[in-house]
Amino acid sequence: MARRVSVFAALLVALALATVASLALGAVKVPFSDVIDILLGKGPGGPEQQIVEALRLPRTVEAMVVGAALGIAGAILQGALGNPLASPDVIGVTGGAGFGAILIIILFPGSIALLPVGALFFGLLAATLVFLFAWSGRNRGSVGKVILAGIAMLSLFTAGTTGLLAAYPERAPSAIFFIAGGLTSSGWEELQTIWPYFAVGFIFALLLIRPLDRLALGDDVAASLGSRPQLIRLAAGIAAALLAAASAAIAGLLGFLGLVVPHVVRMAGGSSSHTFVVPASAIGGAALLAGADTLARTLRAPIEMPVGPFMVILGVPLFLWLLRKAV
Amino acid sequence: MKRLATLAALAAALIALALPAVTGAAQSGNDVPKRIVALTPFAANTLAKLGVTPVGVGETLGGQTRLSPKLKNVTVLPLSHPNGPNLEQLASLRPDVVLSSRTWVKGNQAMEDLGIEVRVYEPLKIGRAYRDTYRIGLLVGKQRQARAQLKAMKKSVEAATKGIKSHPKVMLLLGVGRTPFTMLSNSWGGEIVIKAGGELLTGGVDSDSGFARISDELVVAENPDVIIAVPHANASDIPSLTEYLKDNPAWQSTSAAQNGRIYVSVDNSLLQAGTDIARTIRKVRSAYLKN
Repeated sequence: MARRVSVFAALLVALALATVASLALGAVKVPFSDVIDILLGKGPGGPEQQIVEALRLPRTVEAMVVGAALGIAGAILQGALGNPLASPDVIGVTGGAGFGAILIIILFPGSIALLPVGALFFGLLAATLVFLFAWSGRNRGSVGKVILAGIAMLSLFTAGTTGLLAAYPERAPSAIFFIAGGLTSSGWEELQTIWPYFAVGFIFALLLIRPLDRLALGDDVAASLGSRPQLIRLAAGIAAALLAAASAAIAGLLGFLGLVVPHVVRMAGGSSSHTFVVPASAIGGAALLAGADTLARTLRAPIEMPVGPFMVILGVPLFLWLLRKAV
Repeated sequence: MKRLATLAALAAALIALALPAVTGAAQSGNDVPKRIVALTPFAANTLAKLGVTPVGVGETLGGQTRLSPKLKNVTVLPLSHPNGPNLEQLASLRPDVVLSSRTWVKGNQAMEDLGIEVRVYEPLKIGRAYRDTYRIGLLVGKQRQARAQLKAMKKSVEAATKGIKSHPKVMLLLGVGRTPFTMLSNSWGGEIVIKAGGELLTGGVDSDSGFARISDELVVAENPDVIIAVPHANASDIPSLTEYLKDNPAWQSTSAAQNGRIYVSVDNSLLQAGTDIARTIRKVRSAYLKN
């Protein structure tokens, strides 16, 4: 118990530091005192105020929301499927979202404002197809069927994405940042469009915490306790799909976070209880993405780099260190 | 004997002096390539202006309207990464030389492996365009015409850059997407904007590619007077793309957005060099910079 509390506290400190860094640092130097004044509504006005209020603040909030969403999606999928390699990629969401976004960028550049909608639609479509196939025929909803159907969908949509990029290579640079994963300074508009999907996904995930703990005891034990294992898996898949598709709509294809963060918090906290893992994954994911995004924005400022590689650079050493200790 | 030796020495000297000229003439006479494929609009149009018809031209970004009407019956080769043209299609044209782009690095190597001579003519600077015009002329044995062409180009560019009244701050973007790249001073579009009198917004960034993803914070801080986007889109997409760019929160407060000076250019003359340099500069000045 004490260990879990200290891990939680450490994660909260990491999140606080990442948030402060995200608001205080950027391509343009804004004195920290000005940043505080601006956030308290006493800003000096001018470009500095706009940079903090219209660019950094929404981006920081997006990083936290997306990081939390992907962390939770990975945690509940791993719990529902009982597979440590489960992540939003496994249910095809990432592949579908990628295809939807690239379709808009490449074929309908005049409708670029629909990019988040395209990513969301195809991400959810991919997950829906996975569930339809996995819940049809024999062994309905079995872990193996879900994972195999997810891999098939991922391959299908990835092939579609690759085909589009190959057919229109001169438009590929516009797609690179989405594929590599990254946040943009697009204000509040995207969050305003996508927040209902995050909200439903977060609520679903909260409601699934106890059922997932029962499922961890085995399907038979869970059933004897009054749970319905297949229904829990389906609900977890839907929640993860909503969170992952919404995340991809905003931040592109960030594949590392949902897989690794839940494992990091499990190893650090020494517990697989979803009462601990789900919220800890949310906080850990938020801290990791906010920190990585700050690095991506500032390391070669004013050039912005995609955030995906920086998440890996920050997360992998910690993951390997914990893995070594755990083994 | 002495006279004979003197005569022999004189003859040897004459032969030594004359030999390079003779062999050079022989080389230029024999080695002027007959079958040329031009993969860039600059190379293709330069050949057309010199009165040389290539056996193949590369498909240009934004369609074939940038090519000279003299080339309308020439075989068009679709281009794609990483080789550029399909090598089988190219080989079927039996080219002696291919005037290519640095974009097709892998393809250029493959063409050379096929025994085809490859020369890269895709200028990113106007000065380089002059030089490459002359070199293409030299290649096809039309030095005199190339010099005349060069002279006319220089004159028209000088005229196009006269009387610049103002130097607005310009941000030039490649692509639209959610993360457009900024074109830098070592890109063709950047060179044109600078020649047209614009102060190109680059954040002090250098990049070999000529493009960089620059932070929106810098855009807000630098406050460009004009934003020009060069997406790969159609003319019909211009209104919706302009609205989309205006709605970008990073740019809403800029002078460009406030004064309605966000433009979308779809003819790709800012992406790739052509021979219509003066016309491009004039268009940038009148349509975008208004100087």
